[in-house]
Amino acid sequence: MTERGAVTKKVILGILIIAGVAIPFLTGNFIIRFFTDTLMFAILASSWNIIGGYTGYASFGNVVFLGIGAYVSAVLMQKGGVPFWIAFPASGLGAAIFAILIGMPVLRLKGHYFAIATLGVAEAMKALVDNLDITEGNSGIYLPMMKLSVKGQYLFFYFMMMGVLVLTFLVTAFILKKKLGYGLIAIREDEEAAGSLGVNTTLYKITSFALSGFFSGLAGSLYAYQQGFIKPDAVFDVGVTVKMIVMAVFGGIGSILGPLLGALSIEVISEVLTNYFLVAHTLFFGAIVILAIVFTPKGIMDIISGRRKFGINYLLQNIRDHRI
Amino acid sequence: MLLQIIINGILKGGLYALMALGMSLIWGVMDIINIAHGAFIMLGAYCTYWFFSLLGIDPFISLFLSVAILFVIGYAIQRYLINLVIRATIFITLILAFGIEIFISNLALVMWSANVRMVQVPYGASNFSIGSVTIPYARLGAFIIALIIAGIFYYILNKTRLGRSIRATSQDLDAARLVGVDVAKTYSFTFGLGVGAAGAAGTLWAVLFPINPMMGGVLTLKSFVVVILGGLGTMFGPIVGGLTLGVAEALGTNWFGATYENLISFTILVLVLIFLPKGILGKSE
Repeated sequence: MTERGAVTKKVILGILIIAGVAIPFLTGNFIIRFFTDTLMFAILASSWNIIGGYTGYASFGNVVFLGIGAYVSAVLMQKGGVPFWIAFPASGLGAAIFAILIGMPVLRLKGHYFAIATLGVAEAMKALVDNLDITEGNSGIYLPMMKLSVKGQYLFFYFMMMGVLVLTFLVTAFILKKKLGYGLIAIREDEEAAGSLGVNTTLYKITSFALSGFFSGLAGSLYAYQQGFIKPDAVFDVGVTVKMIVMAVFGGIGSILGPLLGALSIEVISEVLTNYFLVAHTLFFGAIVILAIVFTPKGIMDIISGRRKFGINYLLQNIRDHRI
Repeated sequence: MLLQIIINGILKGGLYALMALGMSLIWGVMDIINIAHGAFIMLGAYCTYWFFSLLGIDPFISLFLSVAILFVIGYAIQRYLINLVIRATIFITLILAFGIEIFISNLALVMWSANVRMVQVPYGASNFSIGSVTIPYARLGAFIIALIIAGIFYYILNKTRLGRSIRATSQDLDAARLVGVDVAKTYSFTFGLGVGAAGAAGTLWAVLFPINPMMGGVLTLKSFVVVILGGLGTMFGPIVGGLTLGVAEALGTNWFGATYENLISFTILVLVLIFLPKGILGKSE
């Protein structure tokens, strides 16, 4: 990290904090909702970053935690009459427990096999929720209405999402300074070496997966309560997994701020595309994913930290590094 | 009754085998999981649809055209896109393939709309019976074509110079380079072959089932299941995996109901990955 890079980072962090607090009071409901969605994706990308970025296990099924969080809240609140403030933490815990149970067998797999197994888990859960009675199958499930003014609801979800994101950041920053964080990075760099140096790799990987699940589950709970109605297709959508990974990669994996910057830029780009090309915006989104992966595989944080000068040469060098 | 279900499963399993053949080749040789595989199957299906509805060419003849078109598309994508990131970490290639998948299926959506289409061949409903078992001609034809294409693959990989360079590259990239294999070209040929096989699978799919631009996602996942079930890097893995999945699905949907088809496939996928990660034919280390 260069001196300039550190300063740039502080400036960006300052701008983000000020903008984050000011936005809901200066703008209308539409913009607040847009940033609430962006914050949700920032949570998902940051959670993915814990398992995919720091631990090096490319999960392609992280959307399953969003879905489980959403459905735990929906079922508890609608069927059990449980208040939100109990259903909300229960969703995070439910997703974390699921991560532990599924992680025990699946985290033994490596590379592509892990990626595909997680994808399979997410699709299997979607198919299961589609067929269960308690989740009301593929017709979807409603959540109780919220007793707040419209503006109040927008503000509530905005600041709740922001709270979860800040919690994700704080916990990530905390574990990175502890033995756990060093252990995870050691696993990413060389799992066998880490194991032989006394890192309990199984425990560490499962902890990392559970943390990833916990925060995504909290986001899922908020998402479900905000939507008021959820369907398996929407909350177990593999496209959401793709989006969170693209955001993490585009921002810069293995950095705390990267996923947030990635989420912000990708959401803004998607929104602009949707406005201009109503029919074809997903097509352009695909093109952006391709270009981002080819030209900036190390993400925005690599540019911001100022290790190398940004320009045409920077983009071409990235290709030279990985082409054949 | 049970025999009929198993026969149905085997016939569909042949198609699954063909779907997985291309994915298995690309995965085994280049260590790329081609998430866009299903999208290429969809393109093959649409090629067939247009040849049939605009020019009136029978699917079993336009098969060759579809394969050729898809081969060229696949070759170009590998040559000018995937080769640019081939040495990056695995999830870079995974996401690139996802980007390609999003791009292709949405391009199809914009160009051809979300309408479900069908290739209604005149012999679509005709069949013959052996004892109590009914076999539709179209399904049997698709099954046989799938096996023939698998045979052609086997021949190309084992008996030709191209096949030797593909196998050499997959064993050791640098060594292959040293003995004069043009690795970039070999990769492009491999990807072209894999995508061409997806095109053939798409053609046969269009004869048997309705098609739409978003059909690819589930087919990609089923191809994974088949590849993993059979065992990656084994010559007959896709066939064994395809037939197993076809029969398992046929029996499973018969017992649990059709809405459980995907749940069955993906549960098989996860269980096989956990308990039998080398597949049925794979050697244990």
